[in-house]
Amino acid sequence: MGETQMVTLTIEGRKVSVASGTSILEAAKAAGVLVPHYCYHPGLPVAGVCRMCLVEVEKAPKLAPACASAVAEGQVVHVHSEKALEARKGVLEFLLINHPLDCPICDQAGECELQDYTYREGRSEGRLQEPKRFNPMEDFGGDVLYVTNRCILCTRCVRFMDDVAGEPVLNVSERGDRAIIGKFEGADLTHAWAGNVIDLCPVGALVSKDFLNKARAWELDRTPSICPNCTQGCNSIVETRDNFVVRTRARPNDEVNKYYMCDHGRLNYRWMNEQNRLEAPLVRQGERLVAADWSTAVDHAAKLLNGKRAVVLASPMLSNESLWMLSKLIRKTGGLGLFTVETGPEAPLLGVPDLALRAERAANVRGAEMFGFERSSSPLDGIQSGDVLVIADVGGMPLEIDPSALARASASIVIGTTLPEDARSATVVLPVTNVTEEEGTFTNVHGRVQRYLQARAAPGMARPAWWALGDLLEAMGDAAGYFLASEVFTALAGASPEFAGMSYESLGLKGARLQGSRQPAETTG
Amino acid sequence: MTPPGGETGSVHSPAHAPHGAAGHSNEESYQPVLLGGVRDELNRILERYPTKMAALLPALWLVQDARGWVSEHSMAEVAQALELTPAYVKGVVTFYTMYHQHPVGRYFVQVCTTSPCMACGAEDTVAALLRHTGCGELGSTSPDGKFTVIEVECLGACGFATPIMINEEFVESVTPDKVSTILAQLR
Repeated sequence: MGETQMVTLTIEGRKVSVASGTSILEAAKAAGVLVPHYCYHPGLPVAGVCRMCLVEVEKAPKLAPACASAVAEGQVVHVHSEKALEARKGVLEFLLINHPLDCPICDQAGECELQDYTYREGRSEGRLQEPKRFNPMEDFGGDVLYVTNRCILCTRCVRFMDDVAGEPVLNVSERGDRAIIGKFEGADLTHAWAGNVIDLCPVGALVSKDFLNKARAWELDRTPSICPNCTQGCNSIVETRDNFVVRTRARPNDEVNKYYMCDHGRLNYRWMNEQNRLEAPLVRQGERLVAADWSTAVDHAAKLLNGKRAVVLASPMLSNESLWMLSKLIRKTGGLGLFTVETGPEAPLLGVPDLALRAERAANVRGAEMFGFERSSSPLDGIQSGDVLVIADVGGMPLEIDPSALARASASIVIGTTLPEDARSATVVLPVTNVTEEEGTFTNVHGRVQRYLQARAAPGMARPAWWALGDLLEAMGDAAGYFLASEVFTALAGASPEFAGMSYESLGLKGARLQGSRQPAETTG
Repeated sequence: MTPPGGETGSVHSPAHAPHGAAGHSNEESYQPVLLGGVRDELNRILERYPTKMAALLPALWLVQDARGWVSEHSMAEVAQALELTPAYVKGVVTFYTMYHQHPVGRYFVQVCTTSPCMACGAEDTVAALLRHTGCGELGSTSPDGKFTVIEVECLGACGFATPIMINEEFVESVTPDKVSTILAQLR
């Protein structure tokens, strides 16, 4: 690899230096200028078919498509010159010839690039007298519905299936004004990552069947998060409406998931809205579990643990913070920590190295291992007479509790989002938040520590598990617990050599790698 | 995913059969077309091109010559033979109007109705063709399965209006009164 040569050019009066070979569109992005575009997407091969990115280059005979034109030294580019605007206005008018303008019933409305650019640069009124072309909708299989009339034929979906998914089932069928996105009979969009074509579609032509007519884009609250559904840790956006998760989408991160997220992760969000939740701490009084305040319940739990060994069965869906607090409890009581994890078939995305729906379907298996929890298929076998069983369950682990194991334990404490049927005999129950109701960090399969933020209000009196555990340890004689996830992170980073040099702030929203872990996706060398 | 061209998955949704589902019903028992002499011919064609992909158009002509039209099963068969995807082959077939995506009559009649021919009475010629063949309307096949009549843009014989093409044969200066004689020679 030779030295990259830098090229300096002027875009909208701003000087910018970029590597030679960069497109004008990307150079403009670097200069803070958005060149309107439809077919161009940084994750896909350049097609140059939509003509929306036409810009004026001084001394060039005609307008240039910014996505397919490489920068040249000393170039002067005008994105918003009269000539460029006039050309793009023409492109928009052509795109709207057969577009149904059904924005009031279109899911994409409010996040539609056809709307946005028409509002900015298009004609204020149409001139078309003739009837519009009509084609019926088509179910593409998987989660994808094709609303043919809205399509602008940018071919992002075709290129994604060809070049990224490696399962080329889409094409452009017919030609001219009859052209539509076609699919070969019997070949549905059932690829594990096919749902990404919905995100990639710049208009409302490819829409999610799951999200269909559920909400308008402007009603949604969007929160940066991490997909908790496997160990890959794809960066995601959790979209809520009235405190309910209604959609999750990919959040770009070049180091992890590029622009993509698999269908399993995307659609497996209903458990986050579960209504059957624990809303108050419970303490056993004879046959019954009775609601109590936090301090009563925590004090009770502390008494149960006094002088006993804690056998902790932890969900690998817990945050690093909560797992670290659990590991402190284990150390303090001389106990042991175990976990089990749900599994399913692995499904890689061919076009992106080291990106796959992982077999282990929980976010923080790496974190659990790091903090000393042992993988076990029969975790309750280790319970000895007199031990206290602590079940910390926020999902992601198959839970089958053998009554005989439970009988050996002197007591059991459930720290969970729900009370599992098998654990109804618990002595103390502490209600905790799930991934959408708290903030914290996960460590992914490649050792990348990534933050997620709180997207919804917690139900009732539920608290993050690290908070409940801090109070519990305090009641058992430790120093005071923590009030913020960032405080717990600072403490655990100080205590764990793998986290050296990391701070909650420096993680940002893209995460950072643990000491000594190499991102396998790196191919430089 | 159902493998394209397999025994299942041959149900055609309306969106994929813009010309109506006529002729699709007997596809359940699809017989491969690229066998014997047709396969030999394909192999000869392949020798002419640097890549298999380059032979797609002639390969499709070959299928159309053998079967009269190009079904989705045939597209899948061609795709396999040329190491392409069925979706790609379908994109090509639907791009060109000369490949028939549904069965047509034994004689495929294309009538020029571009401006000069129109001025010389092409519309009457079309009407006469539709009447004498029994097709009824443009694009549909006569009940005896012998004829399909369509309009085309300029056939390049403006001096001999109205030209028609019957399969590969060119007939010039067709007027309504000549239609029955021309058709009689075919029957």
